Amino acid sequence: MIKIENVSKFYGSHQVLKDVNLNFMDGRVYGIVGENGSGKTTLFRCIAGLEKYHGNITTHFDKLKNHLGFLMTEPFFFSKITGREYLQLLANARTIKLSDVDERNIFELPLHQYASTYSTGMKKKLALLAILLQPNDCYILDEPYNGVDIQSNILITQIIHRLRELGKTVVISSHIFSTLRDTCDEIHLLHQGRIIQTAGREHFDQLEARMKASTTGNKIEKLKLG
Amino acid sequence: MLVSYFKLQLIMFCRKLRGFGMNPVIGIMLLIAAFVGLSVYLFSKTEFAAHILALLALILVSKLSERTRNDFLKLSFNNRAYRKLRLIENSSAALPFIAVLCARQSFAAAVILMFLALLMATVSFRSNFHLTVPTPFYRKPFEFTVGFRKTWFLFLLAYFLTFMALSVSNFNLGILALLLIFLTILSFYSAPENEFYVWSFSDTPRGFLLRKVRTALWYATLSAAPIFVSLAVFFFNQIEMLLLFQSAGYIYLVAMVLGKYAAYPREMSLPQGIVLGISLMFPPILIVVIPMFYLQSVRRLSDILV
Repeated sequence: MIKIENVSKFYGSHQVLKDVNLNFMDGRVYGIVGENGSGKTTLFRCIAGLEKYHGNITTHFDKLKNHLGFLMTEPFFFSKITGREYLQLLANARTIKLSDVDERNIFELPLHQYASTYSTGMKKKLALLAILLQPNDCYILDEPYNGVDIQSNILITQIIHRLRELGKTVVISSHIFSTLRDTCDEIHLLHQGRIIQTAGREHFDQLEARMKASTTGNKIEKLKLG
Repeated sequence: MLVSYFKLQLIMFCRKLRGFGMNPVIGIMLLIAAFVGLSVYLFSKTEFAAHILALLALILVSKLSERTRNDFLKLSFNNRAYRKLRLIENSSAALPFIAVLCARQSFAAAVILMFLALLMATVSFRSNFHLTVPTPFYRKPFEFTVGFRKTWFLFLLAYFLTFMALSVSNFNLGILALLLIFLTILSFYSAPENEFYVWSFSDTPRGFLLRKVRTALWYATLSAAPIFVSLAVFFFNQIEMLLLFQSAGYIYLVAMVLGKYAAYPREMSLPQGIVLGISLMFPPILIVVIPMFYLQSVRRLSDILV
């Protein structure tokens, strides 16, 4: 379980997160939605311990980061490291022995090639595979579907279902509502650094309608197309 | 249209200089002075200076032919403007080299360089060949894995120099090869990695540093082994000197690894660089520098690892 209490984050005088309170339970999948710049990635970085913040983030683990698989929005790869070596690096980081890599390479990535030459979707899949090969208890997946092909999309959804069955805590952000509908037990709407709505499965339609209304409005008319 | 493009390039370049904490005017003057100084030095040292200078110019110009960059330019400008832009870019990049070549009366090299630079304005290179350079350092990525792939030719050069040292019975040349290997390895630790690659470790700052130092020393030993063993066998009477250089290489390597994390996640600061520079001229200072870097590293890493 991850408990977030009154978490605020400032960059200089700009407040990115405002008193965020959330509970992420074991065996549940949570979605975080919000427009670009609403604070999703900052919130994830705070949970991972990559940012300093005001407030409390507690868990029953001694150190959350040692049990956390963090898939970043844009995973970084060195210019001359192969896919296989990237997996090895992240396995070494958690002191685990990597075995059956080829069999476990379910995304059929060309592991002998430099990861930096991969397409956006392949990079995302490699980064995801690396954290799945680690024995993590919690997962933060920042836009896991970004740039990924339709087949892998289906596979990622299945993986998230399996993680839930295994009692893992999963937090996802995505700009594609349907993917969250397929995977999440609860979705939180983040707007300008504040959680403004939380919806369980039964209220997903209502949340989507609210997002559509607030996003679209009469903005298209303002564009004066044609 | 082209004027605004080149203005933008200049603004970006000035921003880069400011990023290094340097006034752009002073920075540009320093760069010109360094370029002229190095060119003069090159001409004073070798008769192949003109060839080397022309080659360096072509390497620089070839960077402008990188495919992704050219695709972007092609999409952004019309055909005529794109061609003009590439010709101006390539000739501007080659111009300082051409000026030096003319000043040294190497007119033939200058003309050939200008011709090739203009010719290269018409091509774009694909940068991502799917060729993976094999490395013996694949078990513990990433410093040696990546570093070796970027500098494998320096490894070859060092081993070749060792072979030459043995052939002509020149111990000093062998030591030069050993120094080349260690300097190459030190460069693997010159830039900080993305914070994700530190964060991922489930370790304490102390454990993390020990791990990094252990890997560095082990792989440095493997890299230097062909040189060390050959020199030890063929110049056994100078084994003390050999051990001294090998040990110095290890000590500087430890200092470099700790120095990198002492500034983490930023690049090594100017004062830290100066301290390391002084230690090259006055090694006893390392007795203070290494523990100092260690304590700074632990403090820096504890923000991410604890």
